[in-house]
Amino acid sequence: MALLTLEDVSMRYEPQPGATLGEYSVFEGIDLALNAGERLGVIGRNGCGKSTLLRIMAKIFAPSAGQVSWAPGVSVSLLTLGLGFRTDLTGRENALLSCLLHGLSRVDAKNAVPQIADFCELGEFFDSPVHTYSAGMRARLGFGSALVNRSQVILIDETLGVGDAVFREKARAALLDELTADRAVVLVSHAEAQVKSLCTRAVLLGEGSILSSGEPTAVLADYAAHYQ
Amino acid sequence: MRMRGEARQYYLGYLWWLMEPMLYVAVFYFVFFSLLNTRQPDYLQFLMVGKLTFIWFSKSVNQAANCIEINKGLVAQLRIPQALFPVATVVEGFYRQAVVFAFLLAFLAATGYTFSAAWVWLVPVILLNAALITGCAMAAALLVCFQRDFRLLIQLGTVFMLFISGIFWDINSVQNAELVTWLMRLNPVAALIDAYRQILLYGSAPDAQVLLWALAEAALILALMTLAFQRLQFWMARRVITR
Repeated sequence: MALLTLEDVSMRYEPQPGATLGEYSVFEGIDLALNAGERLGVIGRNGCGKSTLLRIMAKIFAPSAGQVSWAPGVSVSLLTLGLGFRTDLTGRENALLSCLLHGLSRVDAKNAVPQIADFCELGEFFDSPVHTYSAGMRARLGFGSALVNRSQVILIDETLGVGDAVFREKARAALLDELTADRAVVLVSHAEAQVKSLCTRAVLLGEGSILSSGEPTAVLADYAAHYQ
Repeated sequence: MRMRGEARQYYLGYLWWLMEPMLYVAVFYFVFFSLLNTRQPDYLQFLMVGKLTFIWFSKSVNQAANCIEINKGLVAQLRIPQALFPVATVVEGFYRQAVVFAFLLAFLAATGYTFSAAWVWLVPVILLNAALITGCAMAAALLVCFQRDFRLLIQLGTVFMLFISGIFWDINSVQNAELVTWLMRLNPVAALIDAYRQILLYGSAPDAQVLLWALAEAALILALMTLAFQRLQFWMARRVITR
């Protein structure tokens, strides 16, 4: 069953003050369904609308046109690099906050925090303010929190790329293990290896629409061919 | 949790909750009592009731002005009603103000202003004040979301309010009685400060008619803002994330 369906979705941005660019269209007529148990890779060049697409999926932006529908009761977690934390609070406090904001009860959230701590392997930094963290450490905290907070759909925006090799492997294993049949992942990534090893399906976004869709290896080959 | 984070930034931590308003009182007292010879009876108490209640309004509204920007990370990642941010700011301000109120009442009691039946009025007046602050905080957050320039205008606006709301002078000392009524009707902050003084310093019930005006104004702002935040959820997210 589809957890999330986009039908004929378009997004236009209005002109920004101080920018020479007028109103422009990011993409038009996108049709996409995300099924339970699926790991979907989204690839494309910078500025092709990958992050915008994730924000529409996360119900943060409304599309300029088209329909977005979520299966009833689906909870969505969006991970964006460097966002989502209160940097004056510690990793532990942020982990708790993340669980609470994703609808866990106070007791469940408190119980989930040690699990997050285990996963992130931040050591003593877990009790230090997040502004002392490196980009990779923030990515670990964000990913660990999202994995544990039981969101059914996890949208990952280039976050995994900054972790070190050990963490990337751990994140990959966790995504494969934890991703029970009722959950789904959308991964935006420039790392071809990651898309190949993790995703069950991929779409290539470019020139305002979906250029190619299907088996990751084939889509990556289209990507390489298209931008030769 | 945000308050914990904030208190941790400063060496004196939570002590600032009381120190900041009291430093203002000290400066005003020095200027108006010692230098300008204001001869309002019990000027220190008069000033404290005005300033310690006004700072609740000014601080909450100014903090709320920044709240959506500060929580940009959450706005960009979670679908939560954005009204939550100004409301959370107001709740934090309320905790701080509870400490300030406790201090103010203790100080008044220690200097001879004993409990009177009129103090019962504090309950509706504080609730009305909280409603007004919530509405204005939401408006401030929305305006800054629309254009950052409003942050400066809001700062200026609260300083302007500090002067016209009768904090260090008595609004009833304006000669024209009709003008006093209109000053309070059009500026609910002035009406509330006068009400606090009536209750705490003079032991009398505040002017109910003036408070009804303030109630109507607070309700109107709150209703408009609730509607605006519902309608503008997506627009605000885009505004904050893409600029």
